[in-house]
Amino acid sequence: MGAPDWTRPTIRLASAGLLPFAVPAVLTATLWALPGDPAAIICPPAICTGGAELAARWHLDAGPTGFYTHWMTSALQGDFGNSWRMAQGTPVGELLWTSLPVTTALVVLSALWMASPAVLAGLGRLPRAGDGVLRAAGLAPSVLLALLAAAFVEIRYGALSHDGFPALLRVGLASLVLALADGATSQAVSATRTVLSEEGKARYLGIATLRGEGALSNLLPNVLPTLAGYWRGRMLHLLSGAVVVEVILGVPGLGELLWDGTLLQDFGVVLAAAWAFSWMAACLLLAQALVEVGVVAAVRYVPARVVT
Amino acid sequence: MNRGTALTVASAGMAALLLAGALAPEFLPVPELGTRMAPPWEAPPLGRDDRGIPLHLMAMQGAGIVAGPALMAAVTTAVCAGLAGWIRCQNLPRLDGAIQAVGEVLGSLPRLVVVLVAALLIPPSFKGLMPVAVVWTVLSLPAAMDEAAVAAARLGGARFVEALRAHGFSQWRIYGIHILGTNLRPILVRQAAEVASQVVFLEIALSYLAVARNEPSFTHRENLASWANLLYLGYTALLGQPLLHALVLAISLLAAVVGCAHLFVVAARAR
Repeated sequence: MGAPDWTRPTIRLASAGLLPFAVPAVLTATLWALPGDPAAIICPPAICTGGAELAARWHLDAGPTGFYTHWMTSALQGDFGNSWRMAQGTPVGELLWTSLPVTTALVVLSALWMASPAVLAGLGRLPRAGDGVLRAAGLAPSVLLALLAAAFVEIRYGALSHDGFPALLRVGLASLVLALADGATSQAVSATRTVLSEEGKARYLGIATLRGEGALSNLLPNVLPTLAGYWRGRMLHLLSGAVVVEVILGVPGLGELLWDGTLLQDFGVVLAAAWAFSWMAACLLLAQALVEVGVVAAVRYVPARVVT
Repeated sequence: MNRGTALTVASAGMAALLLAGALAPEFLPVPELGTRMAPPWEAPPLGRDDRGIPLHLMAMQGAGIVAGPALMAAVTTAVCAGLAGWIRCQNLPRLDGAIQAVGEVLGSLPRLVVVLVAALLIPPSFKGLMPVAVVWTVLSLPAAMDEAAVAAARLGGARFVEALRAHGFSQWRIYGIHILGTNLRPILVRQAAEVASQVVFLEIALSYLAVARNEPSFTHRENLASWANLLYLGYTALLGQPLLHALVLAISLLAAVVGCAHLFVVAARAR
């Protein structure tokens, strides 16, 4: 057994810490790197008046460093300024705090839909015959499944049904669409099954079983880093798909906020929404790093339980 | 299905998409309200929309929007993934490590979020699907490159190349035939087909969201109709409008893209 490798978890922990600061920095740098006046880019004179006032109010006239420092300092205190165009005058923070729990619930629910068959498949409790059905459902893009779900809700409860049970139904269907579309669940099932069954063939597992040890306790430390990396990718896929599904199904989440901000050129809203997404991505990186740290620590400090 | 048939059908499908895009009119004809919502048997070949505009012209314009960017995405993905496999065979650990690090950073954010932020920052004169597709392709590259590099490493990497060199094989035969042509081909084609179809679906999704909000899409000019317009018409059919033919057409186009991508993968599979 070699020395424990702390490199990957350390890089991931550092990335998780830096990501929420790097995303606004990259956006700011891009804004200033593009040809033309930053105020004119985010508020094109053809469709937007009062550019100079907005530039002053948003510290765009203070240069990239001034803008970034001011924005980041305010954001860390929960102040994102007011929406410019999407919901004029409304504090962006208010929009953010309203939509964040909705997207979190949506993604967590989708992950549960996706993880349940994957775990069953990994444990050998899901027959392979079901793979074809999941694969066929996964061929459909999220936009198609989402509009079918939206049609179902609107026919049954009306186009303006955004409260009470219909609102919950929209979230439930959105999570199901996210989990099924673009091959999310079928790929999760197939990957989890492949990783566990390939590792299950390893010689050490047979020896451990002969020694009377549990197969899963020997298997898990070796497959967890791979599975954690894979599932982080899946969760990112869900976060990405949430934008489309939320807008089509009328779920008032972070994705819808980001979309409306982009469509209406509301840079303040887009920056704040992107920042919130970067925090979610950072949390996923952190979770993966913690799994890797846990495994490395187990290998380092309790080596008798891990046979590699 | 054998590989030859799959390649023929997939190539024909792709050629049809490119041809339809190339022959698409720049502007849609003036609406003919007398023929609005006419089904295909009343207004051949594919019927009319809710303003009497022929659906086949909308489908052709939609093909024109996605054909170029999807092709660019496929070629870029295949070339970069092939390059990653080549680098792994060259024993260049620093370059390899740098590529992996960049890939890790690029892959740590949700792709659509990055695409939307990029769409906001792209100057109006550059608005279109191509810059959006470039961003999407760049974000998709790390996974494709990583898979190709892992496959090359599994093959033996630099030791494999050395062994073939010892047999007296030429550089072209080693890299062009054995590594890219034989071993990496299924991965390169699959990744290229996946990213290309993702670009098509991305356009449909972004345009659909804009159409649904009655706003202009940032993936194409306002004089063009995307496949998302057909899908939106199809959606109204689900709500009771007599536009079922639009829904069938939209789903058929999506199925054709999925089918084409799948057939390319089948055609390139390992023996």
